[in-house]
Amino acid sequence: MHLNKVSLEARHISLSYGKTEVLKDVNIRIEPGEFFALLGPSGSGKSTLLRLIAGFNQHQRGELLIDGKDITGTPPHLRNVGMVFQNYALWPHMTVWNNVAFGLVERRESKADIKRKVGAALELVGLSQFGERRPGQLSGGQQQRVALARTVVIEPKLLLLDEPLSNLDKNLRVQMREEIKNLQRTLGLTTIFVTHDQEEAMTTADRMAVLDHGILQQVGSAAALFDFPVNRFVAGFVGTANLIDGTITHVNGETIIFRGEGVGELVLPRNSDTPGAGKTTMAFRPHTVSIRVRDEHVEASRAWLDGRVESSEFLGESSRYRVRVGDAMIVANQPHYAGLALFPPGSEVRLGIESTLVRFLNR
Amino acid sequence: MSAVLTEPVTPQAPINRSAGPGIAWGHWSLAGIVLAFLAIFLLVPVGLVIYTAFVNETGALTLGHFSNFFNQTLMRESFVNSLMVALSSVFFASIIAIPLAYLTVRFEFRGALLIQTLGVLPLIMPPFVGAVALQLIFGRSGSVNLLLNDWFGFTIPIMDGLVGVTFVESIHYFPFILLNLVAAMRNIDGAMEESAMNLGAKGWRLFWRIIFPLSLPGYLAGAALVFVKVFDDLGTPLVMGVTNMLAPQAYLRITSVGIEDPLGYVISVIMIVFSILALWMAARVMKGKDYSTLQKGGGSLQRRKLGGWESVLAYGWIVFILLVTLAPHIGILLMSFSKVWSYSVLPDSFTIEHYGTVFTDSKLMIYNTLKYCTMAAGLDIVLGTTIAYLIYRTQLPARQWLDYMASIALAIPGLVLAIGYLRMFKGVNVPFTDTPMVATWFLIMIAYAVRRLPYALRSCMAALQQVHISLEEAASSLGAGKVSTVRRIMVPLMLGGILAGFVTSFITAAVELSATILLTSSQSQAPMSYGIYLYMQSIAGRGPGAALGVIAVAVVALGTYMSHRVIENARAPVRAAHE
Amino acid sequence: MLRTHAVRGLTLSLISAFFAAHAGTVAVVTSFPKELTEIYKKAFESRNPGIKIEILNKNTTASIAYIKELPVGQRPDVMWASAPDAFEVLARDKLLQPAPEVKNPQAPAKVGSYPLNDPEGMYYGQALAGYGLMWNTRYMQANKVPAPKEWADLVKGEYFGHVAMSSPSRSGTTHLTVETILQGEGWEKGWAQMLQISGNCAAITDRSFGVPDGVNNGQYGVGLVIDFFGLASKYSGFPVEFHYPSVTAVVPANIALVAGGKNADEAKKFITFTMSREGQELLFDPKISRLPILPNASFGAKVPANYPDAHEIAKRAKVSFNSTLSSDRYQVVVSLFDQMITFRLKDLQAATGAIHEAERKLKAKPNVQAAELLKQARSFAYSPLVSESMIKDEKFLELFRQNKKEVAVAKQLTGLEDLWNTKAKANYEKAADLAKQASALIK
Repeated sequence: MHLNKVSLEARHISLSYGKTEVLKDVNIRIEPGEFFALLGPSGSGKSTLLRLIAGFNQHQRGELLIDGKDITGTPPHLRNVGMVFQNYALWPHMTVWNNVAFGLVERRESKADIKRKVGAALELVGLSQFGERRPGQLSGGQQQRVALARTVVIEPKLLLLDEPLSNLDKNLRVQMREEIKNLQRTLGLTTIFVTHDQEEAMTTADRMAVLDHGILQQVGSAAALFDFPVNRFVAGFVGTANLIDGTITHVNGETIIFRGEGVGELVLPRNSDTPGAGKTTMAFRPHTVSIRVRDEHVEASRAWLDGRVESSEFLGESSRYRVRVGDAMIVANQPHYAGLALFPPGSEVRLGIESTLVRFLNR
Repeated sequence: MSAVLTEPVTPQAPINRSAGPGIAWGHWSLAGIVLAFLAIFLLVPVGLVIYTAFVNETGALTLGHFSNFFNQTLMRESFVNSLMVALSSVFFASIIAIPLAYLTVRFEFRGALLIQTLGVLPLIMPPFVGAVALQLIFGRSGSVNLLLNDWFGFTIPIMDGLVGVTFVESIHYFPFILLNLVAAMRNIDGAMEESAMNLGAKGWRLFWRIIFPLSLPGYLAGAALVFVKVFDDLGTPLVMGVTNMLAPQAYLRITSVGIEDPLGYVISVIMIVFSILALWMAARVMKGKDYSTLQKGGGSLQRRKLGGWESVLAYGWIVFILLVTLAPHIGILLMSFSKVWSYSVLPDSFTIEHYGTVFTDSKLMIYNTLKYCTMAAGLDIVLGTTIAYLIYRTQLPARQWLDYMASIALAIPGLVLAIGYLRMFKGVNVPFTDTPMVATWFLIMIAYAVRRLPYALRSCMAALQQVHISLEEAASSLGAGKVSTVRRIMVPLMLGGILAGFVTSFITAAVELSATILLTSSQSQAPMSYGIYLYMQSIAGRGPGAALGVIAVAVVALGTYMSHRVIENARAPVRAAHE
Repeated sequence: MLRTHAVRGLTLSLISAFFAAHAGTVAVVTSFPKELTEIYKKAFESRNPGIKIEILNKNTTASIAYIKELPVGQRPDVMWASAPDAFEVLARDKLLQPAPEVKNPQAPAKVGSYPLNDPEGMYYGQALAGYGLMWNTRYMQANKVPAPKEWADLVKGEYFGHVAMSSPSRSGTTHLTVETILQGEGWEKGWAQMLQISGNCAAITDRSFGVPDGVNNGQYGVGLVIDFFGLASKYSGFPVEFHYPSVTAVVPANIALVAGGKNADEAKKFITFTMSREGQELLFDPKISRLPILPNASFGAKVPANYPDAHEIAKRAKVSFNSTLSSDRYQVVVSLFDQMITFRLKDLQAATGAIHEAERKLKAKPNVQAAELLKQARSFAYSPLVSESMIKDEKFLELFRQNKKEVAVAKQLTGLEDLWNTKAKANYEKAADLAKQASALIK
């Protein structure tokens, strides 16, 4: 199956239900063949945006372009945009075969063509033997594959996935994640999928967009969002972040002095994107913080703070500590190796922040 | 048979489904057709009836007819009698139903199956058919009284006059209360009872203070339904020769004085008002008191085993009720096979010639019933599906009103609808012919369809609610247009509910008499119910009438059974796919 | 798809159905039961293929209203019922048309002294019937009630609660029976007798069939019925007997051609058939049991053994029925009966019961005072509320013939009816009271 790759562009899309604004001036461009994620908490408008692309919602302002053509007025059944629903929406009164064949029957394709294409689609998802079964007889993962087969068999321009993995248990999720990614690579389809799980988005998507309350926060690759979040929301949503409000008091050529509220003063190197003096929020990830016993020798490449351990969690590959520093609670990840003992609660420790990995965000 | 009175459900607004301006035309025209049908065949005739009651011959508004009505002793008496009979029937039906409900829900015993049967048996025999047979069993010189007189020297005049009507109606309609009450009780979370027990309540007190009040909405729904149906019933008092009640009086006046007689309309208005009042009150009490508190993971009420004498009492009561309920069925069966049954406990001699007579002379009537009821039921499910679709799948403004309007038919007695048709279509001919509309069977069929629509609508709406909208959106995203989606996805998935609605419409229409009596002009148009009524009017006709009655009951029983099976089968696959 | 099929099917059946009832169909409105109409329908249709008989079953009063309300050209073709006065009403309102050619020349012109056919030629006698008493032998035996011979027997105490009759407003034949009694005994005496008989009634039934039906299945002991009900029941095997009292009349059941019907020509054929010899023979069927208009002797062997002879009975009948008088005061009689008896039965029964009780006691122990009270009670209970002079007053009768649609007329009529109703109730209560007092006096 060789499918056309199309681009999708949303320009100034705004959508409201009555007085509630659900999407506010959203602008995204998705490249042909991309595996793109829409990430956000519930109520962020991500599903609405997806359904808008499918044609089930209507935006009031803006344009929606597929391969440069505005499809705003086109009804859903004419858009040829394949959508896989969160609950798979397999029809219980039809067999797997008929479910998959549905779109082809609608297009009045010949019996021979249908047979060929459905067979190929089922083979693609590994369910060739399941043609005569009914959806009720399949497991969750199998149902999802049927839903995928049903959608790709009609050779759509775009593939839309609405929270495809949220109904599966954890192990299955990881497995299906890979399968979907492989499928997309094989077909080369431009794919947009919606999720609230940042791990899912980060592991599968080429690029992703983060939405909050209908406003687009940031678009970029997973690494870009993880390392260089533009605001508190993205910092906190994509991965865990330590956020300390404070003021940059002195800017001296190569260094700055940051006074964190309730935390104390830190001397940090000045980067190209470090802001000038004034109020700001210091953001750094737990894995950039090392934790030592209070009186141990410390290296100068890090900025050190004293604190007391409040609680710890053993995660297998690392241990996560919550350390009280002054008024703030700082999360630090310590890589684990066999035999390493955890710091007990109450221990006096020293936290060392990798200063080159500190980011400053607007307050 | 769904006897549960439910409020029209507010449609969950599907997430902004305006899918383009072009499609709205289809929705509007569909809504228009439905509206036109409801207007012509429900709203206008009923409106006409109400209007006529308030208008004198010059066309001016007047309350003169009403004051005329209330000035006549006979009319006042009929009014009071109708009220009393309806209320007493509710009372006695409750007396029968409440202990049975209690037994079903509270105890584990094999008699539960018997009670379930009791919940269905009476409903398959229309009361006017049963009334005739009951005369022979419970009448002044009926089997029971003859035996009582012989053995004990007294008789029970249970079939005389108003008491007789109350008796017949009570044993026919108690299942409405029974079924509703059991359903309501089953929905009570066991924790309610357990916490009461924890605080010291038990037994009868527990029942009356906790369980019954919590099931009150269900009870009231059933009671309101019984009240309305008894208040509006024409066939039973007519067959029993009781004329001093509202429905027979309206019928008698319209047929003997004429369609212009204002008192008939006054009575119609009173009947409508009380019906609406009863239904509204029941809905009102239920609103905000949806006590179905069954939590996830919670169990229903505890059940215990019956003790020794409790068992005797329970079975005794059940068997007694069963016998009384079965009396009309047995009676009709005996009558259909008896040659002569007069002043004796059992018939003198038996014969099968009555069935022969029915099959030679009345094939047409059976055919008519099949014809009218199939068409009416078909019309009902088409309308029901359309209205359900319009309410749940479109954004038309005020679409809820389609549901309300169709449901008004619940409060309109068949008698009143018939009067409305007679008046509205008086002098109107079938287009392109000069046959008057009222002389054709068309209006009979329409009357059946209109009055059954609320039940079919409930079935269709429930069925559509079970079809998740994503199933249709998926079809849409795969290229299916509206019509294709409805045809390939929506209707097949609703099929169980649609069929159930069809069967319910069919079997209730098959034994309808009130509207039929007024709208049937010639014998060749007569359906079975009218045929039974006619047969019962002559000496030699009793036997064949009973035979026809047995056939009607068999049809209804078959239909009820099939409808239950269909609903059960249809539920299974839909449930499975919603994991 | 389901929808389009259904719509198509619906339209087709509608169209075909409407074309069914037309030329080749004769619509007959009748109060006769199914057995009779079926037999005639089958016999006629087999002799006249191509003509269908449509039966519209309505009781007499409903038939009149039905015909009246339909416009010319849409009315049924034939009216066929027992009561001659219904036909009088229709004739007077110009709803019938003459068809002299349908008459059977062999039918005698009179039955006793009563003309067989309408002198104006608007309607024709099709069968003959008398009125009489029907009783259930088992019931009578079990309750030790003697078989009655005359109407007057039924006023006696031993018949209390064992009698049944219908109401003139619901049954043309009952109206005829009532008129027969009124004409036979005179207005005042006739009403007194009727009220006493009604007081002994267990029920006033809705349709005339309710009486023979109740007697058949043993609900009532004695019923006032038209003869064929009694005869048919007897021949069907029910344990009943029938007897013609001397105060009886033999009156024709009539058939007529309705003016403004759709199919006058073929309708005439049907009417002719019913009065022809073959049509008359059908009356002997045990299920029908009516008396033919042709003399019994003319049928030779075809007439069943011991079959009543209408002309014989008519000859010895005491009453010479005056149908003009009957139709003139039809509304009043019907209304008065309903208001005094049908709707007040319970009170009348109570009064009668009390009176019988007092009578019994009085027989055992005569008591002048009690007898006086009893006489008063009787006069309260059994006097008609419309006097003999009033019933002869033309203006009074005219009031009842007016158009009930007008609010003023309706009001007046209902006012009068209500007055009778309330007065009757009061009278009966008073009578019951007096009778009880009388009983109390006898120790």
